[in-house]
Amino acid sequence: MQLHYGVDELKAIDWMAILPIILPFMAVGFILILIALIDLYRNRKTRKNIFIWTLLILLCNIIGPVLYFVIGRKDGRTY
Amino acid sequence: MNSLGVLMKKEYSQVLRDFKVIWLPLVFVFLGATQPIMTYYLPVILEVLGGTQGISIDPTMIEQTGGQVLAATLGSQFDQLGIMIIVIAMMGLIQSDKSSGMLAFILTRPVTVSSYIGGKLVFNYLLVSVSVGIGYFISLLYIHFLFTSVELSQLIGALLCYLVWVLFSVSFITMLSAVLNSQALIAIVGIITLLICRMLVGLHPMLDAVNPAGMSQHAMNLLISGSIGANLSINLLVTIIWVLLTVIITHYWILQKKFHES
Repeated sequence: MQLHYGVDELKAIDWMAILPIILPFMAVGFILILIALIDLYRNRKTRKNIFIWTLLILLCNIIGPVLYFVIGRKDGRTY
Repeated sequence: MNSLGVLMKKEYSQVLRDFKVIWLPLVFVFLGATQPIMTYYLPVILEVLGGTQGISIDPTMIEQTGGQVLAATLGSQFDQLGIMIIVIAMMGLIQSDKSSGMLAFILTRPVTVSSYIGGKLVFNYLLVSVSVGIGYFISLLYIHFLFTSVELSQLIGALLCYLVWVLFSVSFITMLSAVLNSQALIAIVGIITLLICRMLVGLHPMLDAVNPAGMSQHAMNLLISGSIGANLSINLLVTIIWVLLTVIITHYWILQKKFHES
């Protein structure tokens, strides 16, 4: 039996036509992840659970960076 | 200088330090772009990954007008993930001031509670509505390329209707943030209440009239059918009353807190 979700079937998509449309969309998500990771790296001394936050930022599509910005940046603050 | 201006400036520096001014628009751009792209590529995705035997897709069924896709952006992206993001972004609004003792400090200054709440609410509402507006605009840009264009008057009308519902969300979370003490509790209560509000829309006309989420439904109706719903004005009025009610509760609560402490 042939599986329908073959990797080689991805070639059937016309990537060049899709790329200009989908690239800005992916760039936005990527920027969000990048800002979160850079902030995490620069404050790596004061943050707790760095490894878990890294995984969360990378794996949870859009909620991850947002949660990091809201909750994750709290413990470094002193006031 | 008047205290509202000073408090709004304070709020601005807070938002800048939280990066909120960067990520909130980005998130809404992401959400806004998702719906048109998903809708546009749905046939391609189904065709390539779904296999060809057994199912056939009628291409005319999937073809949608720009207005429908924009309504779907509001209904299935902004109203679900968007609401959650707004709640998460706003949950510390007063709560963080309360827990750090900042609120008690500010209130020892010659600042009225109403200008404190006003500064918070106005600035954060502006931030959220600009973010939603940018996301809406990006969604529109994609729709313009991939689908049909949308009429300008419907466009702006729908955005304004939607922003009234956003205003209710923001003021509601501000109220929760003043009343409750734990951020997790604020987030859970806020998300559940707002999503239930959104789910209850369309069950009964009477319920719709008093439901602030009805404004979101009106925005979608305006985009899909091009005509204004029957009880838009009643709904608008009731939503504004809801907003005022939440602001009054916030005001009352902070005043009471101050009384207890002194």
